[in-house]
Amino acid sequence: MADITTSSSHSPVPWSRAGSWLSANRFYHGLSWAIPLLIVVLWEVAARAGWIAAQVLPAPSSVAATAWNLARSGDLFVHLGVSLLRAMTGFLAGGTIGLALGVLSGFSRLAQALVDRPLQMVRAIPFLAMLPLVIVWFGVGEVAKIFLVALAVLFPIYVNTMLGIRQIDPKLMELAKVIGMNWPAVVRRIILPGAMPSILTGIRYALAHAWLALVIAETLATTRGIGFLAMDAREFLQTNVILLTIMIYAIIGVAADALVRSLEARFLSWHANYANGGKP
Amino acid sequence: MSATLALSRHATDEPGGASEAAVQPSAVSVRGLQRRYGARVVIDALDLDIRQGEFVALLGESGCGKTTLLRALAGLDRLDAGLIRAPERPSVVFQEHRLLPWATLWENIALGHESRIGRTGAAHALAEVGLAGREDDWPRNLSGGQAQRVALARALVHDPALLLLDEPFAALDALTRIKMHGLVKELVARHAPGVLIVTHDVDEALTLADRILVMRAGRIAASFRPQDHTPRALRLRLLEELGVQSH
Repeated sequence: MADITTSSSHSPVPWSRAGSWLSANRFYHGLSWAIPLLIVVLWEVAARAGWIAAQVLPAPSSVAATAWNLARSGDLFVHLGVSLLRAMTGFLAGGTIGLALGVLSGFSRLAQALVDRPLQMVRAIPFLAMLPLVIVWFGVGEVAKIFLVALAVLFPIYVNTMLGIRQIDPKLMELAKVIGMNWPAVVRRIILPGAMPSILTGIRYALAHAWLALVIAETLATTRGIGFLAMDAREFLQTNVILLTIMIYAIIGVAADALVRSLEARFLSWHANYANGGKP
Repeated sequence: MSATLALSRHATDEPGGASEAAVQPSAVSVRGLQRRYGARVVIDALDLDIRQGEFVALLGESGCGKTTLLRALAGLDRLDAGLIRAPERPSVVFQEHRLLPWATLWENIALGHESRIGRTGAAHALAEVGLAGREDDWPRNLSGGQAQRVALARALVHDPALLLLDEPFAALDALTRIKMHGLVKELVARHAPGVLIVTHDVDEALTLADRILVMRAGRIAASFRPQDHTPRALRLRLLEELGVQSH
């Protein structure tokens, strides 16, 4: 930090401005990481000094060791794989239905009249309130878990797809008519790209909801999955494993967000806000 | 096309029509056109002919029906009565450029006809409007004048028999507008479509047109050929027709 500031003060004026701006940027970036790091260090110290009981909050190093052991035995990846598969299946099922219904409602007033109100009614139910009913319908097996995830994903994708299509500039549709574009070309060149920012927003919400659904679904009787790890650890008061599962859920959430960002950078490169993979 | 009343849209090379303008084929021909919004008649018993290669300007106060007429010629509006004989697909340049923000410039120009026009055809059209080499650029990197030039390229790439311009330069600054006038004149001379430009701007009409029409209350109220007048006299006359009292 200090180095950069000193060296920049020797350079000509525009450079020193750019340099100080850069170093200020780096400083704040560093600071934003320093606080979480400090907390982890304090936590470690407190745990080692015995100020916090290991049952309540084990040291970060102990959590890391747990992760290492579970990874070495391969158990971690089996559970992780099962969880990811559930999330993906549910996401694909709910996402496909949501996208299809959203496209229909966005295009046709008839379809909207038929589909929208019942969907909005079901949407008003917090999907976790459906849990007992889902257990009655599907038991506590895989189907129930996937159903919950699908249900959580369906609505954000449906609503945002419909809105995205509705918001397309009618002047562009008029242009399509003047140019004499055929219907598939209008969908491919105007409607889908025009609705894409909204659809991606829907996907972002859907991923967050899918996660929440997965966490809940995996507390139902399971023998595999990250949720099983947590439930099993609770039985034996292995707080370090519980912490590990919480962190895994957090990491997967961050990864999902990064995935949507990369989709945005790919599909919305035309958009000034998203150009160069920038943050929206 | 919409099957309203006597509306018929043919290709330009229509058979017969012996009487009118044997020299150049007609780009568009309108007979007895009427358009109503409820009880209000916006266009009333209007006749209009534009020959191939002819540049016609349509002046008129706001709400006189000139944009409605252009939209009817473009096939974007239904007719209540009358007959329009126009090419099936006239090209239109609107006041806004209407470029797809998510498509590159060449994709915008070839839009809907990618296989026929291709990248080469689009690149050629771009070069014609002075934007050579910008095929892969995005519309957001263009100035207002440049965007409107791309819109012009998108219209001309189809080599239209009829080109409709709906106040295409109204949103541009004065200097850019003058440059665009030069460009449009040059391009129209090369492609020789029949042109109808709707405008508020008397000087624009004087600069560009072979024939200037003044529309009032849904009818063509007056028609002038700039060649028959001195520009100064015609300018005053047109302003008078438009209800502007000049000192």
